[in-house]
Amino acid sequence: MFKELDPILHSQLRLAVVSLLIGVKEAEFTFIREKTNATAGNLSVQVQKLKDAGYIEVTKQFKDNYPQTTCKITPKGIEAFEAYVQALQQYLKVGG
Amino acid sequence: MADEKKMTEQESLDLITNMIQKAKSSYHETGIGSLLWGSVVSIASFLTYFQRTYEFSVGFDIWLIVLAAIIPQVIISVREKKSNQVKKYEDDALNAVWLVFGISIFALNFYQKTIPEVTAGIIEQEGWQMTKHYLDGSKPDEILKPFAPSLYSLFIMLYAFPTLVTGIVKKFKPMLYGAIIAYGLFIWSCFTRSEYDWLLGGAAAIICWFIPGVILRRKYLAQQQKHV
Repeated sequence: MFKELDPILHSQLRLAVVSLLIGVKEAEFTFIREKTNATAGNLSVQVQKLKDAGYIEVTKQFKDNYPQTTCKITPKGIEAFEAYVQALQQYLKVGG
Repeated sequence: MADEKKMTEQESLDLITNMIQKAKSSYHETGIGSLLWGSVVSIASFLTYFQRTYEFSVGFDIWLIVLAAIIPQVIISVREKKSNQVKKYEDDALNAVWLVFGISIFALNFYQKTIPEVTAGIIEQEGWQMTKHYLDGSKPDEILKPFAPSLYSLFIMLYAFPTLVTGIVKKFKPMLYGAIIAYGLFIWSCFTRSEYDWLLGGAAAIICWFIPGVILRRKYLAQQQKHV
């Protein structure tokens, strides 16, 4: 029986964000935008969806009088990512 | 990057690999800290060697430039912290290693300055003295002050320690190889006259920090150019 792929993660931009965050302690919004080549508006929406799912933590603060948004993956996010990769591997084993 | 584009399983896996790789290779140190310490420690080491060998003085303790380098290092650290867009898991651990290294250098320096004086006091209390006596009688006996022999070898060993940790953790080969060579220089310094330790220490600073600093700086500037 195949595990169903997590719909929150099985979306190009959201998966890109979580994949970036999995390897770092935390990253600024501008860093994520630069690496994913996404527009600020689209990225904001997807970051909010990941936050609502409890997969990432978003901290907003001021740094040198400029607003700064920092994102960090949560333990729930790590768990979901691991489950997603396992499910992918299962599909690929059968497909390959 | 579009959001709702349907992906195949293989595309998902490729995207994950690509993003993890991007996060891994995205951040380069500016290299200024390595260049700074590589410069000041090698200059101080080489000048100490030349002062001792050719018996001249620059008029002040050249190692004060190492102490003075702490000020620009603090400014560099604050600026780098502000400009970093991403924080990696190993950053805190590596910062702690370098902090402990700095404390250890000062502790060893304290040892170097304190032990001879304390030993001299104990010797005086006990009523004896250290004497240099030539077995063939070619020169008259000389009274010696207590000293820590070939202590700079230990500094060379200390230079290698945080460099090796950083090289391993960051998978940064110039520091990894630099540290291994520095351990070799430490062993070499144990078999040489103490004045040559300064030369070997200067070489260790160049290999451990200055050369990796140049490489880091180039990588950093190349990355900055990509963003222009």
